[in-house]
Amino acid sequence: MKLLKQSLWAIAFMIPIGLFAQKEIVIEPANISMDVGEKKQLTAYVTENGQRLDDKVRLFSRARKSLFIDSTLTATAYLPGTFEIIAIAAGKRKNFEIVVNYPPVTEIKIDAIPNKIYAGTPVALNFKVLDKAGLTRDDVTVEFVSKNEKIAQVDNFGNIMTLGTGKTTITAKADGIENTISLNVVKNPIARIELSADGDAARTGDVFHFTARAVDAKGNEIADAPILFSFNGKADDVSSSASGLIKQDGRFVADKAGIYTVTASAGVASAQKTLRIEPRNVSRKIEQVGHGSVNDKHTSDFWIWEGQDGRDYAVTGTWGADGTAYFWDVTEPGNIFKLDSVQVDARTVNDVKVSEDGNITIISREGASNRKNGLVILDSSNPRDVKILSRFDENMTGGVHNVFIDKGFVYALSGGQKYYIINIKDPKNPFAVGKFELDTPGHAIHDVWIEDGIAYSSNWSDGVQLVDVGNGIAGGSPENPKQFASYAYPSGANHAAFPFRNGSTGKFYVIAGDEIFPYGLNMNGPNMAGGFLHFIDFTNMDEPEEIARFEVPFAGSHNYWVDGETLYVAFYNGGVRVVDISGELMGDLMAQGREIAFIRPSDPNGYIPNSPFTWGAQVHKGHVFYSDWNSGLWSAKVEPEKPKGTKIESK
Amino acid sequence: MKRISLILTLLSFVFAASAQDYYIYVTAESDDEVALVKFDGTKAETIQRIPVGVWPAENEGPHGITVGPEGKYWYLSMAHGNPYGTLYKYETGTNKLVGSTTLGLFPASMQISSATGLLYCVNFNLHGDMVPSTVSVVDPESMTELEQITTGAMPHGSRLSADGMKHYSVAMMSGELFEIDALDLKVSRALNLDEAAKAPMEMDHSKMDHSKMDHSKPKESDAKMDHSQMDHSKMGHGDGMKHSAFKPTWVSPHPNKDVVYVAGNGQAQVMEVDTKSWKVTRKFETDKGPYNIDISPNGKYMVVSYKTAAKTGIWDLDTGKELARLDNSQKVTHGVAISSDSRYAFVSVEGVQDDPGMMDVFDLQTLKKVATAELGKQAGGIAFWKKD
Repeated sequence: MKLLKQSLWAIAFMIPIGLFAQKEIVIEPANISMDVGEKKQLTAYVTENGQRLDDKVRLFSRARKSLFIDSTLTATAYLPGTFEIIAIAAGKRKNFEIVVNYPPVTEIKIDAIPNKIYAGTPVALNFKVLDKAGLTRDDVTVEFVSKNEKIAQVDNFGNIMTLGTGKTTITAKADGIENTISLNVVKNPIARIELSADGDAARTGDVFHFTARAVDAKGNEIADAPILFSFNGKADDVSSSASGLIKQDGRFVADKAGIYTVTASAGVASAQKTLRIEPRNVSRKIEQVGHGSVNDKHTSDFWIWEGQDGRDYAVTGTWGADGTAYFWDVTEPGNIFKLDSVQVDARTVNDVKVSEDGNITIISREGASNRKNGLVILDSSNPRDVKILSRFDENMTGGVHNVFIDKGFVYALSGGQKYYIINIKDPKNPFAVGKFELDTPGHAIHDVWIEDGIAYSSNWSDGVQLVDVGNGIAGGSPENPKQFASYAYPSGANHAAFPFRNGSTGKFYVIAGDEIFPYGLNMNGPNMAGGFLHFIDFTNMDEPEEIARFEVPFAGSHNYWVDGETLYVAFYNGGVRVVDISGELMGDLMAQGREIAFIRPSDPNGYIPNSPFTWGAQVHKGHVFYSDWNSGLWSAKVEPEKPKGTKIESK
Repeated sequence: MKRISLILTLLSFVFAASAQDYYIYVTAESDDEVALVKFDGTKAETIQRIPVGVWPAENEGPHGITVGPEGKYWYLSMAHGNPYGTLYKYETGTNKLVGSTTLGLFPASMQISSATGLLYCVNFNLHGDMVPSTVSVVDPESMTELEQITTGAMPHGSRLSADGMKHYSVAMMSGELFEIDALDLKVSRALNLDEAAKAPMEMDHSKMDHSKMDHSKPKESDAKMDHSQMDHSKMGHGDGMKHSAFKPTWVSPHPNKDVVYVAGNGQAQVMEVDTKSWKVTRKFETDKGPYNIDISPNGKYMVVSYKTAAKTGIWDLDTGKELARLDNSQKVTHGVAISSDSRYAFVSVEGVQDDPGMMDVFDLQTLKKVATAELGKQAGGIAFWKKD
């Protein structure tokens, strides 16, 4: 018993007195609310057993851009909402909330509408709700009321349908604020709509151009008539929907074969034109021809070229391995064999590019043992005996992910944020002459491609950037690159860009590819990618228009190549897809049946067996070459194009 | 009876000692995976490889790793992003991902303060220009980045004082030691390490071990550098850019003294800095490329990874003597973590190209390498989890 007592005393002495102390962080006032734009001095302190201590307390907002609290505990409210605050003192923490009140609505702003509206034609109001802080409020419900419903009726979305002539008002109401606009509905002079198009039959994917004119009883054009285009149809295949896309400038494209009717309307007046749409019928066979196996490591990018001796060669990079690049003879695409290899201090040779004359090869380095990465310049004039000429590391030791060679200059990505332009005219003594970097917050870059003196870089959320590096369009040069156009899309996943000038239509597109992996990571088995190709019409550089897409379900785009009016694109687990991009492009190219062929490089002896993960594609002397992450270099042949039917040519 | 009790007690101690298992997390930067390694006193083996990241075809580079003070979660910095890196939070044992947040450019080493509960991670910005970067401060409970504190160029080695109230990091390229108030989140002091390396020490010289110092020869790293051929004007660096000769890569505070130890990767030296006087008090001449440091919890040993030499140095901090300089089992020695009982040092070794990474285990009592575990490529960040 005595021993037990002694033990208990001993244990009691071992317990720090501090454990019995009750430290608390106190925030005053207990409930804090603020208005947008308000600054408020907060009070926070520590108590122990009810006694206030001198311990310092810091307060942190979890949403700093909405509510910021500085080191003096002054809170500044920028946006309304309820925000979680973390109070930290030495050894103590407390979470609480601050409410920033929604400012009162001060205005319902409605864009101007025409002075006169023809009876029977609709008007869609463009409006937004603004509050006292000048913020646009999407959380406020707006109610619309027509003063005279015999003249005009309005729905909850601000769509007005005019019925009779006369003047009336439409009032928008929200949170006690009103805005009233006047409506002047006049007699509708439109007697009929004249609708024409550049044909009445075509294939899926062919773009029609409709022109509609509203005219009065005397045949005079009513230029300000609001004309709307729409379509309906019936697919030949009863299991399919007659889908397509129509633009309000009169462009229409059908996805499925069938009968489509395009309607142009202005109130009760309308005109229709019916189209016969035939299947595009472009599918062809593709057959695997050859395979140069790499199954002990991942394969990355590749390049095919004709050597000085007239034979054809390839270089492939490796990924997450030992810094090797392989050189191949591909003169006979059915008999691909290794000639040589080069090993550099890297784990990944992500990109490889060859000069126009085939004499110089550039390989990129990532994962160097000393973390000083860069690029390596090789003499590939004899692909059987490739020699290292020089290395270039300056300003790019963080890793070079992609490179391009153009007219004696290398464009090399550095650190994922910019590219340097390096003069390699003397390949043993390369030196940087320029660089291009955006100044947007959090800018990043993934790839760059040069054609006709224009650098097309892929800048993730900043989209595609077009930079003059010698074209002359903006006075740029390799020493002084000048950006002159760009286009970004909401997903922010721009990973590759390839220019495409369509000779038959005069259209100039940039094909922008995503890289997205929405299905998680599997390093030991098959992976699935997501994302697609965005076709951006840059014909008007000042107003680029994203006009078409090519998407393969449950696969994702990577690198690609355009030969004539055919696109060859690697879709990772979806293999190589061959796509007809002839003519004007609009809408969903896959739905339109523009896919000519596809082939998936599955290898039971691959690095990961039977797991196609195609990296890129290139056409050379009539064969498609493609590299695969798990199996090496492949070649295939697409059968010759079928003659077009007369119906297809009738448009 | 007493004798039997004593024997039983001794046996229980022996049994307890022999039954100890140690668990360590190690990153493989070029394989995008984290290994959980178990060491049972004689054998070290990777018992789980945890794939990390979200991009199969992009190397994301898991670099820094730490286990929270409570041992329930481990945190991983992923260096590469678009452009910013990511901090991931995993549950220990199950290794399930439970949260993430974006940090700065190339987030690297980090630690959680036992006082504030906040995580402090340096944004190494290896991929960027030689401009000042930041230390991200994160609430690990909600995985919210609360602040970025600007320090120097290429900050590395993020460690907290024993009381958790001071954060220390070094800037590799600008050659500075930074002290941050862990609650104010402001730089409270900075020390120019290149100047400090040149300056005479504030110390008792009688305690120095001159036997291993060879000041007569220039450092090999100095001899190789010829800055005269460099064209800095085209580098796009900001004004005042500096390439530190001392090239600090790590700082570790002592667990119960007011000193920190700074690895000078460029000068084969570790400096002891008194955090009261903010002056250098001792210098330890090391093998080539001292890179990471850990101090044993009992305060007795300093273990230094010699990256260039592919060796590990074990120092007695009381005497200032290097007790052992031991070969690592692979090239490019990287990180150090010492067990909570101060018995073993676990050292990650990167390897080169497609070499597997390694984790060597050094016995701090016998001063011998006792085990090695094979890991993924470029084994780097290392964190001791627990002893069972």
